[in-house]
Amino acid sequence: MEEKLTREEVLHVANLARIKLTEEEIEKYQVELKKLLNDVEKINEVKGYDDEILIACWEDNTKLRKDEEGVMLDPKKALENAPSHIGNYIEVPVVIGESEGA
Amino acid sequence: MTNYIPTIGIEVHVELKTKTKIFSNSKNGYGQMANSLTNVVDLGYPGTLPTLNEEVINLAIRAATVLNCKIRKQMHFDRKNYFYPDNPKNYQITQARTPIGYDGYVEINVGGTPKKIYIEEMHIEEDTCKSAHRGDKTLLDFNRAGVPLIEIVTKPCISSGEEAKAYLEKLRETLFYSDISDCKIEEGSMRADANVSIREKEEEPFRTKVEIKNIGSISNVGLSIEKEIERQKKLYENHETFKEQTRRFDDKLQDTVLMRVKETGNDYRYFPEPDIPFVVITDEMIEHAKEKIPMLPDERRKVYGEKGLLEANANKLIQNRSLSDFFNTLLEENIDFKIASNILLGDVSAYLNKEEKSITDTTLTKERFIELVKTYSDGTISSKNLKEMLDSIMESDKSIKDIMQEQGIENISDDAELKQIIHNIILENQESVTDFKNGHDRALKYLMGQVMKETKGKANPRIANEILLEELK
Repeated sequence: MEEKLTREEVLHVANLARIKLTEEEIEKYQVELKKLLNDVEKINEVKGYDDEILIACWEDNTKLRKDEEGVMLDPKKALENAPSHIGNYIEVPVVIGESEGA
Repeated sequence: MTNYIPTIGIEVHVELKTKTKIFSNSKNGYGQMANSLTNVVDLGYPGTLPTLNEEVINLAIRAATVLNCKIRKQMHFDRKNYFYPDNPKNYQITQARTPIGYDGYVEINVGGTPKKIYIEEMHIEEDTCKSAHRGDKTLLDFNRAGVPLIEIVTKPCISSGEEAKAYLEKLRETLFYSDISDCKIEEGSMRADANVSIREKEEEPFRTKVEIKNIGSISNVGLSIEKEIERQKKLYENHETFKEQTRRFDDKLQDTVLMRVKETGNDYRYFPEPDIPFVVITDEMIEHAKEKIPMLPDERRKVYGEKGLLEANANKLIQNRSLSDFFNTLLEENIDFKIASNILLGDVSAYLNKEEKSITDTTLTKERFIELVKTYSDGTISSKNLKEMLDSIMESDKSIKDIMQEQGIENISDDAELKQIIHNIILENQESVTDFKNGHDRALKYLMGQVMKETKGKANPRIANEILLEELK
C-alpha cells in the first residue's frame, strides 16, 4: 500500500496555512506531503550532519548595520500594492482573535 | 474550600529605544502618520533581506546585564511561521533556540519580604505591524513592523498578583533607567502576558495553564491574575476541567474573557533564519554595553537613604528620572539633602507639573540650586519667600541673592536688632510667657506670630526662634 498521511494531518496543515482543500486535494496531499517528508528524512543519512549548517553554511558571521536612518517609502508608494486602503491604513478582512505574533 | 497554590509566569515584550528598526534602516518612531515609517523590508517584499541593527544587540546585551542574565556568545535567529495579516512575510524573526540572555533574576520586595524572580530567558525579535479592528475590516499600520523587541520570560516562580505587579514595576524602572526602552505601557512599548495555573500541592505536576494577553496596565496585571486564580478555583471545586487557552483582560468587565483555545508550539514550525548567519558577541561588545549603564534605582535608593532621605521621598525622586538625575549631581556637595529633596519634591515639582516641564527645560542649574538650598537652610529665606521667588528661580538665570534684592525680600538676620524686638514683645506679652512656662506650646507660636507681625514677616524664622527660646529661659 502507498504510504500516506492521515486526512487529519493534511487538514491540520491546511488549517495552519489558512487554505481550503477539496476532497480530491486532500487525497492528493495525503500522498504527496508524505513523499516530501520522506525526502526530507534523507538528510538524517548524511554522515557527520550538524544542523548548524542550516543556520549558516558559510564561515562569515553576521555583519551588523549602523543604527542610522535611511530612505523610507513615500506612504502612497507603500500603499500601492495593498488590496485596499482607508486613508493611510491598509485594509484587510477582519481575522479577530488569531494574532499569533509578538 | 481547598487551598490552591498559584503558579504564575510572565512574558514581557519591551520595545528598544533605537533610531532605526531591527532589520531595516527605516525610522523606529511612535505616533506618526500610518505607514509613513516603512520600506520594502518592513513590508515583507519578496527578495528583501534583513540587516541586523548593531544598536539592538548593544541594548539587548545591556538588558541582559541589568537583569543579571548570562550572555550567549554565539547565537542565531529563527523563523516562527504563522499566517496572519500583521506579518506579510508569514513568519516572525525571533530567537527560539539561542536567546541572547538566560538564567537571570530581579529582586522584588512585597510586604517587606525580599524575593528573587528568576528569568528563564531573554530573546530578541521583531515587532509585527499594528492592527485595529473596525467592523468586518482590519486596518494595518506598518510603522510598528520591525521595531526591535526583547521578550523577557520568567520561570513559573511568581505566586500572586501582588508579586507580578512588583516584578513588572521593578522591570520597568530598571529598563527605563538603563535607557533600553521608554517602557510606556499605554503606548505599547512595554506589554505583559501572564501564564496562570493552580494546583493543590507543591509535589503535584503543573495543571492546565491559561495565558492572559494584552493587559493594559501594571495594576490590571495584578487584578487579572487574581481574577483568573479565582475562576480556576471555582472550576476545580465544581470538578470541571478546561483546555489550555488564551484570555484577555476586559477593562469594562474587570475580568478575563476567552480569546481562543491555543495552537500548540509545534504548529509554529520554527526553523533557523537562513538570511542571518551566526551573531558573535565579543567581550568588547559586552564592555561597551555596560559602560552606558547609569546608577540604577536600587543603588539610588541606597545612596539617598545614606544622605538621610525618607524612603518615601527617595521613591518619589526615583519616579521622576530627571529630578533624580538632577539630585545625583548634588551628591558630592555639602548641603542639607533632606531640605534639597523637599524643595525638589515640593515647590519645584509643583512648578514643573503646572508648567508641564521637565527640570532640564528650566533655568535651574546645580549652582543656583545649591545657593537656594543653603539660603533656605540657614533661614535667610522662609518657605513663603521661596514660593514668591519660585518663578524667577525657574525662569531666569539670576542668583538667589539678586532675586531676593529685586523682590525686596530682606530678612532680618541681625541678632542685635531681632533681640531688641523680641525683648519688647516678651515685655508686652507676660501672660503668654507664663503660659509657655506652664507647658503650653501654643504660646510660643503666638509669640513667634507677634515677632513676624512686628517685623512684617521679615524676621529670619530660624534665628528669631532661637533668640525667643533663649529669652524665655
